[in-house]
Amino acid sequence: MARNGKFYSGMAVAAVFILLEIAAMSMLKSSSALQDVWINRASHNAMAWSWGKVSRLQNYLSLQKENELLAGRNYELFKELQHYREMERELQTMAKLDSIGFRSRFNYIPAEITAMGTNSRHNYLILDKGTEDGVKPNSAVITPNGVVGMIYSVDPHYSYGISLLNDRLSVSARIGKEGLVAPMSWDGHGTDHAILKDIPLHLTVAEGDTVRTSGLSTVYPADIPLGITMGSRLVDGAVNVVDVKLFIDFASLRYVIIAENPDRETIEKMEQ
Amino acid sequence: MKKWHFTILYLMMLAGQVILCNYFGLSQYVLISWLPVLIFMLPHRMGSVVSMIVAFATGFVVDFFSTGMLGITSLALVPVALSRRALIPLVFGDEQVTRDDELSISRFGIFKMALATLVACSIFFLVYIWADSAGTVSFWRAALRYLLSVLVSTPVSLYVAKLLRPE
Repeated sequence: MARNGKFYSGMAVAAVFILLEIAAMSMLKSSSALQDVWINRASHNAMAWSWGKVSRLQNYLSLQKENELLAGRNYELFKELQHYREMERELQTMAKLDSIGFRSRFNYIPAEITAMGTNSRHNYLILDKGTEDGVKPNSAVITPNGVVGMIYSVDPHYSYGISLLNDRLSVSARIGKEGLVAPMSWDGHGTDHAILKDIPLHLTVAEGDTVRTSGLSTVYPADIPLGITMGSRLVDGAVNVVDVKLFIDFASLRYVIIAENPDRETIEKMEQ
Repeated sequence: MKKWHFTILYLMMLAGQVILCNYFGLSQYVLISWLPVLIFMLPHRMGSVVSMIVAFATGFVVDFFSTGMLGITSLALVPVALSRRALIPLVFGDEQVTRDDELSISRFGIFKMALATLVACSIFFLVYIWADSAGTVSFWRAALRYLLSVLVSTPVSLYVAKLLRPE
């Protein structure tokens, strides 16, 4: 009670002080031209400063909207880029292209990560898109900077996926544009590293080469950059393992793209 | 009687300050004012709000009757009144606050009174010179004016304090 009384009396003193100072400044402002200019300039500076702060706060609060807009643009650009990549590949293999008949091999769906684990050896992710948005199990979860994971199960509004940071997931990767193909998986050490496994001993891998998805799987689109090679080491005296520094930053990841191959089941049936 | 004695002396010192402002301009680098010590020596039982209003009125009277700009002395004097309640226990100790003793040189000694006067003058001239310069004077010139004004006004104010409460 006494503390409340002290607080209110302190507030009253502060209020009277401010009022008296404002009154003194008003008198000073009207009695001297020099002080008038000075006080006006100070008040304009204070207003400009406060407007600047408010504007920065507004910008900060609208970041969510901007992020969503940028993610949408990113998705459109990525889709277009993938389309051209596939066209380029077709051109190289077929020599000439019937452009009217060409269509993209994958369907792309933008999504936002609802939850994602990065602390265990079997990390997962949950996305805000489900069967109602056209998501199917065994679709790839990607970004323009790499593979994020693979959809494992789907419900009408959400989908559950296995993260690349899960030692059960393996991605078919290629070193360089035309180089060696090998399975890439997480080594369990840090969120920015993976390894290319089963590299034959007679093949040498240069440091700094870009690793991309090979396109030899029915799940992941081709030529998505994954990371760069860091160096190789011998494992069990039989094969080499290449360390890969991933491009993707799992710590700041929020928006992803689900890539679904409509021909996957047909291709898999043929493989059987 | 004691109360009226202080009030009469206070008004006389106020009149003295008006006369000083009007007729005894020493230098543009030296301002002499004992108004901070007048506010500082207001009766201790007077609360912060009342002492701030007294400070405002005192400043207004000085500005109105002298050639100064209206409002500038009030602007500088109100912060002195605000800081008074916090400054007294710091300089004179909590005992003074509880006993409600009035400030005087004979009771608290010259050293403590000089310290309190120095702080009060420092606050007053800081605001006064800052507002008077209005951003048109260089920092070092304003600093020199501030330093000289505090150094000259503090001993003068101490003498005024002795006159105000001689016991």
